[in-house]
Parts: sequence; C-alpha cells; structure tokens
Amino acid sequence: MPRAMSREAEIDGLQRVILNERSRLLRFLTARGAGDEAEDVLHDLWQRVASAPTQPIAEPVSYLFRAAENLMHDRRRSAISRQRRQQDWHEISNQVEDNPEGERRLIARERLREAESTLAALGPRAAGIFRRYRLDGIGQAAIARELGVSLSSVEKDLQKAYRALAVLKAKFDAE
Amino acid sequence: MSAQQSDIGEAARLWAIRIQDPAFADWDGFTAWLERDPAHLAAYEAALEADEWATDLFASEPQAPPLSAPAPAPRQRRNWFAVAGMAAAAVAVAGGWAVLDRDSPAVNILTAPGEHRTINLADGSSMMLNGGTRITIDPDTPRQIALAQGEALFQVKHDADKPFVVTVGKTRLLDAGTVFNVVRDGKAVDVAVAEGAVIYEPGPNQIRLAAGDELFRAHPGATPVLRRANPQAIGGWRTGQLQYNDASLDRVARDLARNIGHPIEASGGAERMRFTGTLMLQGSPDQILARAGPLLGVSFAPKGETWTMTPDDDGRR
Repeated sequence: MPRAMSREAEIDGLQRVILNERSRLLRFLTARGAGDEAEDVLHDLWQRVASAPTQPIAEPVSYLFRAAENLMHDRRRSAISRQRRQQDWHEISNQVEDNPEGERRLIARERLREAESTLAALGPRAAGIFRRYRLDGIGQAAIARELGVSLSSVEKDLQKAYRALAVLKAKFDAE
Repeated sequence: MSAQQSDIGEAARLWAIRIQDPAFADWDGFTAWLERDPAHLAAYEAALEADEWATDLFASEPQAPPLSAPAPAPRQRRNWFAVAGMAAAAVAVAGGWAVLDRDSPAVNILTAPGEHRTINLADGSSMMLNGGTRITIDPDTPRQIALAQGEALFQVKHDADKPFVVTVGKTRLLDAGTVFNVVRDGKAVDVAVAEGAVIYEPGPNQIRLAAGDELFRAHPGATPVLRRANPQAIGGWRTGQLQYNDASLDRVARDLARNIGHPIEASGGAERMRFTGTLMLQGSPDQILARAGPLLGVSFAPKGETWTMTPDDDGRR
C-alpha cells in the first residue's frame, strides 16, 4: 500500500470512498487497460483526489469512476502524443516543403468541410443533437427535453452520428 | 470487416456515447463488458479516438462564416497560398517581434519545439509563444485567440468594451486586465494569472482567477482544480526559468520538452514523482537536463531524438 494511504490525518471524504470502493475501482482499472498497473493508477487517483479542493460532490462513486476513466484516457493520450511528437520532431528536422503551414490548413479545412457535410447528411435533428451533446456538452436527458423526444431517440441519433464520423475518420486515416 | 467485429465496434461506440454523459452511472456494467472480451477495450479506445478527433475537428469551426465578403474571385482564389505564405512570413521573424497584418485571413502560428516567438497585436497586447505551440488568430477579431496546443503567455491591454478572449477547445478565458499564461497539453488545460484577473468560462459557473491563482483541468468535463502559484514565476519560461510547487514530474517533463525541443519519455514511475523548486533553461539540451536531473532525482538519457527520464536508483523514493 502506498505510503500516503497510511497517513490517517489526510484521509478525507473522497479518499474514504476510494478505500471503500477499492476493489470495484481496481477491477475497472484492470479491465480498462491498466492491467498490472491498476494499483499504480489507483494511487495516482488517490493523490489527485487529495490535491483537489474540497467541495460537495453529488455522486462520489460515479465521480471517482469518471476520474479513473479520465486518468486511463490521459495515459493513453500521452503515450500517443509522445509517439506523435517524436514523429513531428522528425518531420520538422527534415522539413523541405515551401509552405507546409498553408497546405496543412487547406487539408484541415477540407476535412472539416467533409465532416460537416457527413453530419448534415444525417438530417438536421441528428446533426443538431451531435453538436449539442459533444460540442456544447449538454446531457442526453436535457437534449431530449429540449427537443421533446425520447431519450432513446437521442441515443439513436448520436449512434448514427458517431458511426458516420468513425467511417469518415477511417477514410482519412487511409489517405 | 466481419459482422462480429462491426457489432463490437457498434457496442463500443455506444459505451463511448453513454460515458460522455455526465449522468452516466453504469460503471460496473461497463467493467463487465470490457472483461468479457479483450477486443472490447481496443474497440472502445478506437471509438474514443474517433470521437475526440471529430470533436476537435468541429471545435476548429469558425464561430461565424469565415467570409462575409462575396465569394472569392478567381484571382483571390489563385493567390490563397501566397497570402497564407505571406501571413506566415510576417510573423516568422526569427526570435524577434512581429506584427499581424490586419488584411490577411485567419492565421495559424506555429512554433517549432524549443522555439520562442513574440506576437504583437495592433491594440498593444502581445503574446509570447513557447515551443511546440499552435495558435489561430483571425485578424478581423484580433482579441480572440484560439490556443490549439502548447503554451503562451498573454499580456493584455485591457479594454472593457472589447473583451480579450482566449479559447482552449470549447473553454473560454476572458481577460480582466491581465498577464496570464495558458498551457494546453492534449486535453489538459492550465491557466495561471500573474497580474490582474481572468474569468474562466464566463457564465453562470464562471470562476474568477486573481493574480497568483492557477487553474488546472485534466480533461474537458473534469472538475477544475485551483491552486496557488507564485505570480513572479508565471511565464518564467520566457526568461529561462521554470518554477514548481509540488508538480508531478510528468508535467515537468512536458514543460522541459517544450523548451528544449525534444520529447521526454518518463518511465519507471518517474512520471509520478513530485518536484518543488526552480529549473534553469540556459544552455544546450544536454546541459539543461544534466542540471535538472539531480534536482528532480532522475536520470536523463538520450534515445534517438527523445530523452528518457528514469528515477535515480539510489532510492530517493
């Protein structure tokens, strides 16, 4: 057990919840890709909770699972961006093109345009729901209320949008 | 793709959708699904990646249609590359000062890893970009800056009638008379205020950051964490100093990487160690890291273009 966990004085509400839910969280972390390092990630979570300002949290268990999910996501992202930075660095040191910036912007604009038309092709409701959910960060229940439709139709529209965008990404990745 | 694979992909996307919802609570159900088949995790990661890619792409959408002018005439169209090239050239003064041309289209300004660059804005505000940074400015709205990645220090001429706004993805930072530093590293955002104040996410849940406040958010949707920073040390990278108060070495490594121009790979638990103190950035990467190593309690070793960072084996921890 990490050293910090034995310092009783520092254990506050959320850390107590970590202790109580330890096995559930570990099981989640293991399955979520931490494998043998699940204990390390849990310790990381423990420390982050300790440095967070104390404020009331409505659903502490869900809060911790989400924090654990975010940690795993960040770990993977930093692994990927490490690889990418390495590659970028390599590209920068071998740069010969005259105008890579203009070209990148052109490609980015073109891709955005294609993504916009992919979304638009799903119809205004699905496109609107995707934007509301992912870009404005509005929950599904609130969107369903706004539009006066059922929760499951919101979810179906989101599935349509995610599916179409995944196909588009696969196409760009292959280019 | 087999039918089974596409079923897994579909299920994975559904989990990705559900988990994005702040109200999601079925973590045990998600765990059980992940445990059922090792392919599920990979499919879920792929779904998240696609989601993030799409979200980033749409977040780069201009707020308003980019051109209110009539459809570009053929001549303008032909010159598009040249215009972009000139705009880029206007700010690419090596290590010096640069002024944006008001008539150019929205520009991306990039710094190479290890490069510092100062951009002066027409209103007297300026921003200093650290290495490995990308920002977008539309000269039509020069007081709205999008930080796409990296780190920048903003020195703002306050004007109550013309708010100065920095956007980091979907997050808005509103200046209230200020010198402030913003870091965007992947999904994480770090805002530190040296002078004046900054409003994080103006609106009902806004947070006012005063001089010496630092806000860190690991992930959009994550709860922002506030801590105290030394106002004198904020933006210290400009003058070749990095100051920390109980920072994870993971973060220190990312800051060093931006400044020396080489990626740094932490391993062996080094990323979880913590550091309080000041690092000096003078000299070559070898010299900087040779000085930093003993202070951080780690060893740096070159590995191709990358440096690795591992804990010292004399058991500091």
